[in-house]
Amino acid sequence: ANMKLILIFSALIGASLCLETFVGHQVLRIKTKNEEEVKQLQLLESLEHLELDFWINPSAPALPVDVRIPAASVQSVKAFLESQGIEYSIMIEDLQDVLDKEQQDMAESAQRQRSSSFDFGAYHTLDDINNELDHLASEYSFVEKIQIGESYEKRPLYVLKFSTGGSKRPAIWLDAGIHSREWVTQASALWIANKIASDYGTDASITSLLDNMDLFLLPVANPDGFVYTHTTNRMWRKTRSKIPGSICVGVDPNRNWDAGFGGPGASNKPCSESYHGPSANSEVEVKSVVDFIKNHGNFKAFLTLHSYSQLLMYPYGYKCTRPDDYAELESLGRAAASSIRSLYGTTFQVGTICKTIYQASGGSIDWSYDNGIKYSFAFELRDTGRYGFLLPANQIIPAAKETWLGLKKIMEHVQ
Amino acid sequence: DIDGVGHKYYLELELEDVLDKGRTVSCTAEVLYHLGSKSTAPDVQATVQGELRSTEEADKEFYNRVRSLPKELVAENIPDSHGNVPPELEPIHLLAWAASGYVTWQNSTESTKFHLAQVKHVKQVKRSDEDLQFDYVLLLHEMVSQEVLPWEVTVLWHPQRGARVSRERRQPGHA
Repeated sequence: ANMKLILIFSALIGASLCLETFVGHQVLRIKTKNEEEVKQLQLLESLEHLELDFWINPSAPALPVDVRIPAASVQSVKAFLESQGIEYSIMIEDLQDVLDKEQQDMAESAQRQRSSSFDFGAYHTLDDINNELDHLASEYSFVEKIQIGESYEKRPLYVLKFSTGGSKRPAIWLDAGIHSREWVTQASALWIANKIASDYGTDASITSLLDNMDLFLLPVANPDGFVYTHTTNRMWRKTRSKIPGSICVGVDPNRNWDAGFGGPGASNKPCSESYHGPSANSEVEVKSVVDFIKNHGNFKAFLTLHSYSQLLMYPYGYKCTRPDDYAELESLGRAAASSIRSLYGTTFQVGTICKTIYQASGGSIDWSYDNGIKYSFAFELRDTGRYGFLLPANQIIPAAKETWLGLKKIMEHVQ
Repeated sequence: DIDGVGHKYYLELELEDVLDKGRTVSCTAEVLYHLGSKSTAPDVQATVQGELRSTEEADKEFYNRVRSLPKELVAENIPDSHGNVPPELEPIHLLAWAASGYVTWQNSTESTKFHLAQVKHVKQVKRSDEDLQFDYVLLLHEMVSQEVLPWEVTVLWHPQRGARVSRERRQPGHA
């Protein structure tokens, strides 16, 4: 056995080479069965001229050993392992391929990033989003980050205030992510925030808008749910509040508003995805917005983003009758949908919530409308079911761009 | 409305091939929802006018690739949280779509609207006959209730015989 070892080691010594790239380099995962095998690998490790790069060094039989092997040594190392009966598998067939792909990804990512190092075409964590809000507020004098409250789990509810002056100018409200699994909405809200901030002063429409009105944007209306979709359950929709007497968690924040509360289209069962909660405004995420808007007293439009289904809706959801301003809202909705379609051909259906999607009580735009905010619209963004909540990141910016055109149409009318 | 029987819908549809956009085919269908019955699937009759694209090449390639895998295929979260599907898993994703269509049909009423939200888990089961078998756990999103329901679905597939759902049930237990 010793003779065999010496022969094989000689072959390995002969095979060593000096390489500049990682073409043909393989990464093997070796599973040792006993101390003897570990010792063999430690011997191998000591042969410096092989230029083996152990990512996980041999130490104990229970732990895997990962090693990068230069191309020229690959065959001989494998022959050695096989002759010793040591089990291995190939983790990476060609390391250069992996590195090339990584470079490509990074180059593409760098291209997408402009003055901000924030990639609007990717999905982000709550921390990253909050950092970007800080960045926008610091970069633009007319953008301010304010806190309107705290979530159930004590996360701050941050709103970006866009204001070029005046004192409590007529204002527009825009929120996203009230249902946490609808990731394209938080992502789109960030892009829209950046768009508005960076185009003020050059785009006539945005400049006129902010010269006359203020905009308040809440990109993550349900931060607890959002974090939960990252850490635990990508499909989580509701808040994360504990419900007395139930093992189930969370209330549907878009059934919790004081508009037909507890009526048809919401569930009284805590385990349901459309559970309305113990009472209207029981959810702090909802109450914070209600209080803020009431205290401000001068909101003219209330716009909210959801996904998916590609719909543009106005009140009512809690009842199936038309609002008093039906004709105007229908007409404005159609105009907005038309603007959306002009960009990529994406079609949005327009109508009341009840007629378009389903009867649903306790919804936010019903509350805002019944509280005197005439221009109340809810958007359901891409797509129509192919990817649903799991919309590929490469659709974020197209979705944000087309949605922005629709929002802009509405905001121009409101002015 | 058919008194004593149920509600019948006459549909004219345009089908678009997701993998060959711009190519559409017409389809007519009749759907009968039985009165009062929540446990019987609606009756469906459908006719496709025109031809569907041939997928013989791709079918054969997929079949041979899976048959020659050293170990049974196992995967989860298709698409992943960011909507990505690795190219080699795209056929598994498409097969899940077909299977979810069957499950949707079997569990639909006039007040439901199902979409496949995600393939939570898929495991290939090697068979002694020529079929490929995949045991899926699919997440089905029901639009009206907004529930996302885990569903166990066993799919058999063969290039000539096509896809068949041999077993489907809502996964027991509460998420």
